[in-house]
Amino acid sequence: MLAQYIANGLLIGSLYACLAVGFSLIYGVLSIINVMHGTFVVLGAYITIYCSQYLGISPLIAALIGCAIMFVFGYLTQRFLINEVVAAPIFISFTLTFGFDLLLNNAMIHAFTATPRSLLLDYGSITVAGISLSVARLGAMVLALVLTGVLYWLLRHSQMGRAIIAVRMDRHAATLLGIRVPQVYAITFGIGTLMAAAAGGAMALVFPITPLLSGTFLGKSFVICVLGGLGSVPGALVGGFALGLLESFGAVAFGAQWSATVGFALMIVVLVLRPSGLVGRKGFE
Amino acid sequence: MARKLAKFASRALAGGLLVLGSTALVLAADPIRIGAPLSLTGSLADEGSKEQQGLDMCIDAINAKGGVKVGKEQRKLEAVKYDYQSETSRAVQLVQRLVTVDKVDFLFAPYGSGDTKATAVLAERYNVPMVATSAATESVYDQKQKNLFGILFPNRAMAEVEVKFYKAKVPQAKKMAVLALNSLFPKAFAASVRDTAAKDGFEIVFDGLYSPGTMDFANVLTQIKAANADWVYATGYIQDLILIRRQMANFGMNIPIVTMTAGAAYPEFAQNLGALADNVTTNAWWHPSATYKDSYIYGGAQEYTQAFQKKYNKIPTYLEAAATSGCEVLALSIEQAGTVEAEAVRKILASRRFETFYGPIKFGPSGQNEINSPMILQIQKGKYVVLEPQSSKTGELAVGVRAQ
Repeated sequence: MLAQYIANGLLIGSLYACLAVGFSLIYGVLSIINVMHGTFVVLGAYITIYCSQYLGISPLIAALIGCAIMFVFGYLTQRFLINEVVAAPIFISFTLTFGFDLLLNNAMIHAFTATPRSLLLDYGSITVAGISLSVARLGAMVLALVLTGVLYWLLRHSQMGRAIIAVRMDRHAATLLGIRVPQVYAITFGIGTLMAAAAGGAMALVFPITPLLSGTFLGKSFVICVLGGLGSVPGALVGGFALGLLESFGAVAFGAQWSATVGFALMIVVLVLRPSGLVGRKGFE
Repeated sequence: MARKLAKFASRALAGGLLVLGSTALVLAADPIRIGAPLSLTGSLADEGSKEQQGLDMCIDAINAKGGVKVGKEQRKLEAVKYDYQSETSRAVQLVQRLVTVDKVDFLFAPYGSGDTKATAVLAERYNVPMVATSAATESVYDQKQKNLFGILFPNRAMAEVEVKFYKAKVPQAKKMAVLALNSLFPKAFAASVRDTAAKDGFEIVFDGLYSPGTMDFANVLTQIKAANADWVYATGYIQDLILIRRQMANFGMNIPIVTMTAGAAYPEFAQNLGALADNVTTNAWWHPSATYKDSYIYGGAQEYTQAFQKKYNKIPTYLEAAATSGCEVLALSIEQAGTVEAEAVRKILASRRFETFYGPIKFGPSGQNEINSPMILQIQKGKYVVLEPQSSKTGELAVGVRAQ
């Protein structure tokens, strides 16, 4: 049973990690709290569901389409909207993204209605050494690792990635060196949105989707990033798994109605004892 | 003399115009206003829109007939709607506004036992009759209020019928697992079922709660699976129940009886689950296949269902039907009282037995409908089959919910 609990925790943890990666990246590079993150995830999930249902294509391709669309959307949002306030105090950008999120969310409720929608594909589950593992969630685990790995590689080994890290280290010095900072910001935001959409695709396989989930997703992203270290991408992975395991054992120890409380309580503990998170370092990733 | 005549004529003319004018005002009679706080956005948006549709069905049908007959005049019905966004505090604020600013004549309760109980206090304070069409928990009606009238019969009646049914049909099922959402109705309903089942000889092998917004049921289901339950009873709203059923399949759980309350009775449940919804049982306070007749609007349950389908392109559930009948009993009471005055209407509501397409309604001393007509349903091949009562039965219980 213990092995099953650990497996359960890791599986939901991988979904959580997917959720948080994009959020963490945007905070790390742009130093803004993207309140629209939850809404982007849900939007990505809807694109996946509708493309899959109406175009009859596999969810993977549908999710990729979702990622592409959301990248463009994120890029444009940052370039023309958020860029105006990116140098301002964090509260300003927080308010802007919050307001825009309200708009987006209500537009989605209007367009899609609150009726839950699901992908009617069931990949079933496999049993390994007596432990039941849902295939869809295993896929999410792979996705989380791929997303984190790709991002890590991108940041270290590509021109744009180096530029992103440079901008993060020192915005003004980067400008002096000829890096077009607004462009870098826009691309980073686009990447963050793309990751949110990818997470949305994974969510679409597992949960019935309504626009109202955006709040839940944002809340979880917050907790995970604080646990793992805000701004640290591997931290999102660690935080995700940590939260998943914690909620899993919290549910068994105290009852399922306490699992969310356990997560938030731990977040407070981490904030007090180790504000940079389990993996994060002060300042830079 | 001429001046006196002129004065008299002008006064007569003015008087005449005044009489004509006021007659005109009376002829274009004020509508009867029902205040309706609806959860059109937020976590209960799905349920809120169902209530709205039910209310509109009633208002449209009555207004098409010319309106409600109040004494000598016909007055149309009008709903003053506000969206309380599934937030209880906002529901309370909006009901306050409806009564004090909009000065509505009657109130509709918000969705669910919790929000109904919270706003019923205001109805009582301001003495405005309130019809509750989505609250079945007994504790909502325990405040000795005279302004609250509940269409749905008590949870307890439903629980008793269900336990008796399954005990008779599946005598080999002995172990029961209960999983409830930590919210007024689902928690109270599950407690009702659990207590009735325990009294009837079932062994309760699992009894747990989960919070709203839970994204993972893996661990509770692992525990339920390990306990070898024969009957899994889950309560919650539609999203939670969909997720629970999916995760049950993930864990390869094959359970003889799986009953889910509030959510599984709505077609969206089967739409989201496809084949996984098969053989899940649920219950309802009303179903389109009921045989009730109605002499005021629609003619009967079948006609109502057809009209609803024509207008909204889907089948109504007990939620919409209860909302329609709630507005209907209000109209019938106004007609019988001959006035919209709260005291007179309240008297009729409290004493009369109404025969509607939803079924017979008679509000008991606590304000809740005391005529119980529970229905047990099962989803078979994507369609609802009525298992109880005998008079509306359309099929037999299929035992065994498989993890395909």
